[in-house]
Amino acid sequence: MADKSMINKKFPAFTWEVERGKIREMVQAIGDDNAIYVNKDIAKQEGYEDCPASPTFVFVPMMWTGALLNVIKELKINFSRVLHGEESYEYFRDIYPGDVLKGEIKLVSIDEKTGKSGSMELIRWETLYTNQRNEPVVKASTLLVERK
Amino acid sequence: MAKELYFQDISVGDPIPILVKKPVNKVQLVRYAGASGDFNPLHTDPEVGKAVGIGQIAHGMLIMGFVGQAVTNWIPKKYLRKFSVRFAGMTRPDDVITVTGKVTDKKQEKENKIIRGELLAKNQKDEVVITGAFEAALPDR
Repeated sequence: MADKSMINKKFPAFTWEVERGKIREMVQAIGDDNAIYVNKDIAKQEGYEDCPASPTFVFVPMMWTGALLNVIKELKINFSRVLHGEESYEYFRDIYPGDVLKGEIKLVSIDEKTGKSGSMELIRWETLYTNQRNEPVVKASTLLVERK
Repeated sequence: MAKELYFQDISVGDPIPILVKKPVNKVQLVRYAGASGDFNPLHTDPEVGKAVGIGQIAHGMLIMGFVGQAVTNWIPKKYLRKFSVRFAGMTRPDDVITVTGKVTDKKQEKENKIIRGELLAKNQKDEVVITGAFEAALPDR
């Protein structure tokens, strides 16, 4: 059972420098062949400053910095019983190579629910990502489901 | 890549172009693990999947990536304001994912010309793996 006293808790901020190659790796793994992610000239023709990051890119800093595993550890969630329930993004600005993102996680809610497959716990947090100019770029909301 | 898209050209009920992905394969899962940094062995080691009792499954975020690809094939990425998914089912190696969607709402809100839509990802057995939604702010012609 996650500790409900942690609702509204803010976790330590994490930072991540966005590399051009990582933007490319993500779309190649997905199999998304939109040229804006890999070709700077085409990206500029289409109105971007440079190759933008793809819509789900902020999963990269969340995982590579260990921020998600830190939340799971702090909340004493059993990782082997966890499913990803929902993910949502609100976009404010595009992310470009060279940006330095800062992510700040706030725990929003912990709810219990009993369904057909037994009881579960629903854990929701929000992550606000800002860039090196302190401009908000993306707000992410994540729902994890811990099966009991 | 996405062509320019204008608010005037969109109607409620318009479908987004269907995206049929190549079968998910095990190498792709390794690539996605390395790209994203999600090294949960459930996604890359069939033995772990077997031990947990659900078998090897794809990263949910990879499938969200497919859905994002479908949306931004049609709506230029720079116009996308919101994108959300609910993970409704698991995807396994060799599954073929098809993404569909349609515009459900179109309105002017202050100076913004907004469209909203719903999204669906299904596998080859017609099982839903993701339901989702998007919102975009489009330019005038």
